[in-house]
Amino acid sequence: MNTLNSTIETNYENKNHLIREIIWAALVAIGSFMAWQEFNALMGLYEDAILVGTTIGLIMLGRFWPSIRTLSYFITALTLLALWSYSIHHNQISANEHAFFLRFLVSSQSAFMWMSALYVMAMATYFFALFNKSEFTGKVASTLAWSGVAFGLVGMLVRWRESYLINPDYGHIPVSSLYEVFILFTVITTLLYLYYEQKLKTRAMGGFVMLVVSAAVAFILWYTFDRHAYVIQPLVPALKSYWMKIHVPANFIGYGSFSIAAMVGFAYLLTDSALKRNPNSEFAARMPALEKMDDLMYKAISLGFGFFTIATILGALWAAEAWGGYWSWDPKETWALIVWLNYAAWLHIRMSKGWRGRPMAYWALIGLLVTTFAFLGVNMFLSGLHSYGEL
Amino acid sequence: MSEKNIVTSKKPSLFIQFLGSMNLAVTLLVMLAIASVIGTVLKQNEAFQNYIIKFGPFWTHVFDTLGLFHVYGAAWFILVLLFLLTSTATCLVRNSPSFIKDMKHYSETMSINAYKHQPYSETYAVEGFDEALAKQTLEENGYKTKVHHSENGNVTVAGMKGRWSRLGYIFTHVSIIVICVGALFDSDLLLKYRQLTGQLAPETRSIPLSEIPQKSWLSPNNFSFRGTVNVAEGQSTDVLFLPYGQGFLVQKLPFSIHVKQFRIRYYDTGMPKSFESDVVLTAPDLKKPIVKTIKVNHPLVYKNYSIYQSSFGDGGTKLKLAIHPLLSPYPNALDIDTAVNQVEPLKTPIGTFKAEFNDFKMFNIVPATKEEQEKTGKKMHNNGPTIIFKVRNDQGIAWEYENYMQPNLQDGRWFFMTGMRTEPSAPYRYLFIPADEKRSKDRFFKFLALLNNPVQIHQYLKDAIPKSKNLDEKTYNLQLKLLQQLMVLFRDKGFRGIDLFVQKKVPQNEQKKVKDYYLSQTSFALQMLYLEFMEKSFPDKHITGNNLSDFDKQWFEDALNAINSLPSYGPPMYFEVKSFKQINATGLQITKSPGKDVVFLGSGMLIIGVFILFYVRQKRVWLAYSKQENALTIAGKDRKDFPETKIEFDQLVEIVKTNLKVS
Repeated sequence: MNTLNSTIETNYENKNHLIREIIWAALVAIGSFMAWQEFNALMGLYEDAILVGTTIGLIMLGRFWPSIRTLSYFITALTLLALWSYSIHHNQISANEHAFFLRFLVSSQSAFMWMSALYVMAMATYFFALFNKSEFTGKVASTLAWSGVAFGLVGMLVRWRESYLINPDYGHIPVSSLYEVFILFTVITTLLYLYYEQKLKTRAMGGFVMLVVSAAVAFILWYTFDRHAYVIQPLVPALKSYWMKIHVPANFIGYGSFSIAAMVGFAYLLTDSALKRNPNSEFAARMPALEKMDDLMYKAISLGFGFFTIATILGALWAAEAWGGYWSWDPKETWALIVWLNYAAWLHIRMSKGWRGRPMAYWALIGLLVTTFAFLGVNMFLSGLHSYGEL
Repeated sequence: MSEKNIVTSKKPSLFIQFLGSMNLAVTLLVMLAIASVIGTVLKQNEAFQNYIIKFGPFWTHVFDTLGLFHVYGAAWFILVLLFLLTSTATCLVRNSPSFIKDMKHYSETMSINAYKHQPYSETYAVEGFDEALAKQTLEENGYKTKVHHSENGNVTVAGMKGRWSRLGYIFTHVSIIVICVGALFDSDLLLKYRQLTGQLAPETRSIPLSEIPQKSWLSPNNFSFRGTVNVAEGQSTDVLFLPYGQGFLVQKLPFSIHVKQFRIRYYDTGMPKSFESDVVLTAPDLKKPIVKTIKVNHPLVYKNYSIYQSSFGDGGTKLKLAIHPLLSPYPNALDIDTAVNQVEPLKTPIGTFKAEFNDFKMFNIVPATKEEQEKTGKKMHNNGPTIIFKVRNDQGIAWEYENYMQPNLQDGRWFFMTGMRTEPSAPYRYLFIPADEKRSKDRFFKFLALLNNPVQIHQYLKDAIPKSKNLDEKTYNLQLKLLQQLMVLFRDKGFRGIDLFVQKKVPQNEQKKVKDYYLSQTSFALQMLYLEFMEKSFPDKHITGNNLSDFDKQWFEDALNAINSLPSYGPPMYFEVKSFKQINATGLQITKSPGKDVVFLGSGMLIIGVFILFYVRQKRVWLAYSKQENALTIAGKDRKDFPETKIEFDQLVEIVKTNLKVS
């Protein structure tokens, strides 16, 4: 191939690339505008601002990470299928029991069941690919994980709609109950992992990360079948605020990143132990280099730390508006601070003292325990303002 | 906090070194985290009595001395915070100047040899050096450049990217100090100082506002406060109560708040949907009062004061009650007019009592039964209003009650429920008073009065059981007397009373026989009394044992159940709610928080700082041309090494080689 030809080809690719980006931006903008037209009666000024912010954010995210575009197209198609299916059944919520597509594919409950199955299958396939050394199996695992994310997000979007179908009074974004945020958690964790998978060009850590996601799936299933937590409840007065739309997702980017860091730490420790026993360990050869995992741990924790900081500050802003004080030493607040202090210490030790490797991996794992307590334990064992039992 | 590679001109003192050390900083961070854990596990600021119950006097004393019941205000906690602040500040002061210098510094004047010793460096033989092209190449790749010509003809083009990276460090650490200073503005340190110097004393008694001494008052120009006040509908307030130590302080407000109405809106599930207060704020400097409805998440902001919907309660609902004496031989209820939060003295033949009316609830919403859901389609059921009150005897022992105003359907029958408990933590035990055919309690209290009246019992039994011919007068009277006595025993302690009587008075081997006989006689007497009672109540119905309706039979069983439980119902009184006029009170939280904006400023800096710190990478490259050697050294250094640093450097080397035609 001579130089001239390659230049033309590059130009052609660039042009193609540009067209795709423009189409993406246009579609997102049109979609947002249509949503605004449909629902602006229900939206306040802050909700408008959040919509504009989300639109711009999504366009940027799609440019930065093109896979998001494909994902969005699938999600939009499936969600529209669900909305269409509800609308031909007179927007009755009971349609999810008899309309074919809703019952078996895209009602929020069905979508969550698909999501759960896909995550667990993804985990198994990732591990299978790791031991099988099969590139193809790895690709299947990634596709399964992507599909799980797609169904999770479709389920959330449809659930948002369903809450309005049950009773317009109940309508709210599905990030208000423990059940709903668990789904958000699996989606964000898997998505963040998939980003690193593409960036580092390795699928070896997929099984490990999907372990946490599968544990969350187990919780979701128990919560669904034993506790019937999937029932859509109206919001308590304290949660009726636009702040919820940004505070909760920001928090879960933090939790998701910390989980990834912990699981990478786990993979690090396994690999390191394998290498110590046998420098030519077959297992270690299939895993990414130790320094790469160490670096990923750092990157995940710094991303998580950034978003966790934002989330906690957003929480303080919200608390100032709802409870009259930006900080009340409420157990959830305090545990957020504990998580924050823990990772602040981790980052200081790494950045200034230059610690690497095993101790940091152990610490990342312990960090996950602390985070889990802040996320779950506080709700289970400690009472406070975040329990929403009272005004 | 302290960086390894910082070159400091003079060695600081050992103490300053310790203050600014990383070890201290991390230790303090971990200490804060552990203290916070204690604060969440041990319930904070509870009544002292509760701690003693939980931990015993010894450990309560130990924990209290350590300040574990008020961790976040404990002296040692504040000390740790202060140490962390000092440590952060020391670090900042020590590192900032060199960091700022580093931001401007291109290190373009070093020797060729020094460049060759950078972490990444490659040297190539070249024919010459196009300085402009080199500059352009670096700039095209996002570097800011600076060119240096040495006297010996050497040329260095220095490039730098992400120079703001250092600002991340400065922003994050300054922000922590700013946030803490803001929090300090809103802390109660000033109040603590005034308390220590004796200018201030919290009030611990529950006394009327006018009697609270001046030492517990805070003037309107108090710098910062956060307190609550309950205001009944139609009332106003210009004071606020701040919880402080074991008591409270009274904050005078520079404005007055009038509450027009408080309401709760509900979802169809019975869950509250919103809590709202219609308030009017008046202040001397306001031409027109501010009229607003405040809700959760929608406070009223006036100057630097914010007024929040925080809780609600009863504001003194007016109650018309009838007190039914449960041991009286005549149905003679006492009517009283009272209100929630009032105490009524009661003089009764069995002693003096005080009735304390604590609360009134308009709605008592419970999940609907399956049948009701199918019938009405509603998921929730409203059991109607209740009053919650305590009856206290002269020894101070209290019984707490929860009385429903309206009857509730249970298994297809209507009952008036009344719950009683003697311990605040125990669940209520309910007494079910069966409603009569008019769905009232009349029949119950009339029948009860009959059972309380031995003379009338005697008369009724005589009417119900005429003497048969083959029975002599003495036996007949003896039998009537036995039945009458059984009634007294039953009324005294229920069926158990008869059991106890037999256990006490009858030899062991006879007990079972006698007990069975007595119980059957008791049932017989009760049935006879009831039939006679019904006959006298409805003379035109000619009620006999054979034509008693199912309803009346069921009522009798339910009434016996209720009467059987009366002995364990506490003082023999039943409080009936005749009517009420509800008055709500809203709980307002009012804050003046000058530190808030400072804290938010710090928070903004923190976010910006964190993202700069993590995502702006400081990179340096040098293209150093040595005239003597006719060689180009390409050197690079990142402030932090990542796996991609090397890759990126190699990429840049390729670009430079292509552009400058180095082979």
